[in-house]
Amino acid sequence: MKDKRLDHMREEYEQIGIPGELRERVETAILQAKRELGMEEEIPRTKIQKADAKREEDAQKTVAGTQKTWTMEIDGAEEEDWSMSQGSRGKQKGNRRGRTRRSPLSWAGGIAGTAAAAMLVITVLANTSPSVAYAMESIPVLGSIVKVVTFRNYERKENTMEANIKVPELQVEDSTGQVQEESTEELNRRIQEYTDEIIARYEADVEAAGGEGHESVELDYRIVTDNEKLFSIRFDELIVMASGTQLVKIYHVDKTTGEVINLDGLFQADADYVTAISENIKEQMKERMAEDENVSYWVDSDMPEWNFKEIRKDAVFYVNEAGHLVIVFDEYEVAPGFMGSQEFEIPTEVIAGMVKEGYLLP
Amino acid sequence: MNREALQKKVEEQILDSYEALYRLAFTYVHQEQDALDIVQESVYRAMKHASSVREEQYIETWLWRITMNTAIDFIRKNRRELVQEEFPEAGVEDQYQDFDTLEALEVLSEKERAVVVLRFFEDRQIREVAEILQENTNTVKTILYRSLRKLKIELTREELLYEG
Repeated sequence: MKDKRLDHMREEYEQIGIPGELRERVETAILQAKRELGMEEEIPRTKIQKADAKREEDAQKTVAGTQKTWTMEIDGAEEEDWSMSQGSRGKQKGNRRGRTRRSPLSWAGGIAGTAAAAMLVITVLANTSPSVAYAMESIPVLGSIVKVVTFRNYERKENTMEANIKVPELQVEDSTGQVQEESTEELNRRIQEYTDEIIARYEADVEAAGGEGHESVELDYRIVTDNEKLFSIRFDELIVMASGTQLVKIYHVDKTTGEVINLDGLFQADADYVTAISENIKEQMKERMAEDENVSYWVDSDMPEWNFKEIRKDAVFYVNEAGHLVIVFDEYEVAPGFMGSQEFEIPTEVIAGMVKEGYLLP
Repeated sequence: MNREALQKKVEEQILDSYEALYRLAFTYVHQEQDALDIVQESVYRAMKHASSVREEQYIETWLWRITMNTAIDFIRKNRRELVQEEFPEAGVEDQYQDFDTLEALEVLSEKERAVVVLRFFEDRQIREVAEILQENTNTVKTILYRSLRKLKIELTREELLYEG
């Protein structure tokens, strides 16, 4: 016969209260995982170009389909070359009727350029503004010079949802001051694709929640490396829904060639830097866990399928002041969420013989 | 099934069962914030590794497994604090005698707890419980029997093994 105590426990189990926060936490997690999976796909260059072509197509479609709605917004932006305008524009109108969900992406699209910029650009600061002079700083060196020439602020606030996204525009010049169009475009396109995606996601969330959700998205950037060899700009994204999420993205320009590079650009063509770095990171993880029991990484865990295996070829990285390579992981990527985003400094001897000369210091 | 479709299925299943997943997590930590963290983490992992399920029919049991593992992981990492907070030496006797609350599940091991929750509270079949734990059905039956003995709950053997 069945014991009453079991029924009792079951009743109690069924009465476990579901916190209102739960749904949001679940959605945050879904969103984040999706975004990371999406990021992984964005890397191969051919794909980027394809995506770009498709975007332009989409942009054309969007403009054709919703021209009326857009005209209003165009009035707010006088010129295409908005880097010359100053001060802030008025807050954007809430008239988004008829706009498709994808359209924020058309922001960069050639044909829709002006219209879309007007939709999204709220604050435009020219490089003449003293308040942003610090961001424009650049030290001329032998090779290329990379500098932030302007930035835009995408600011939105609807009830309890808000976004504050800073989008810099960079310029790559050679030592004579000649703008290197190709690299400049490539770099800005990558940055823009990244920020467009963040904006699109935010707008989709606003739409889905009817403006009643709780969400705050912040994106800021800073120059983390600017030496003779390398220029790196780092983006920190902070999403706060029910709990905060930290995401990091860093873009690099090889100043000797003026090209935008990923991690593999630091290494010789056939070097197995992935294994060398990954093994070192695993060692560091174990060391840190041994030192402090509150520290936890997904290494040697009970769930082998989630253990950290190796870094991606395009892992997020920067070169610190000591001239050492630092690999950056987003929150959740290699450790439980409470650990936040994680960084590992890689001793240069670990990758000795693989690195192209001049990028890292011993 | 391609990756995107699978991911979509996983998402749907998550949205269907997240409350139950939360309850399971709660039986491990007895604390709202911790249980929320566990669910968030589990959902993230599930979405991130959606392509590792391979077959649609396993999505649900797989979600249970992730949540169980994440919860176990969590309490292992926080064990020291839990031991100090929840089991003061003098109180041990009392805790074990008081069987009519969910806290009684504390006497069970991590696996035993999952088995009891899944079989008796969530009405899962022995076969499903076995899938979630990645054990064979006989082992699950043994665990069940042992768990109930620990909880000092009497059930006839037939009732215990009955699949209903």
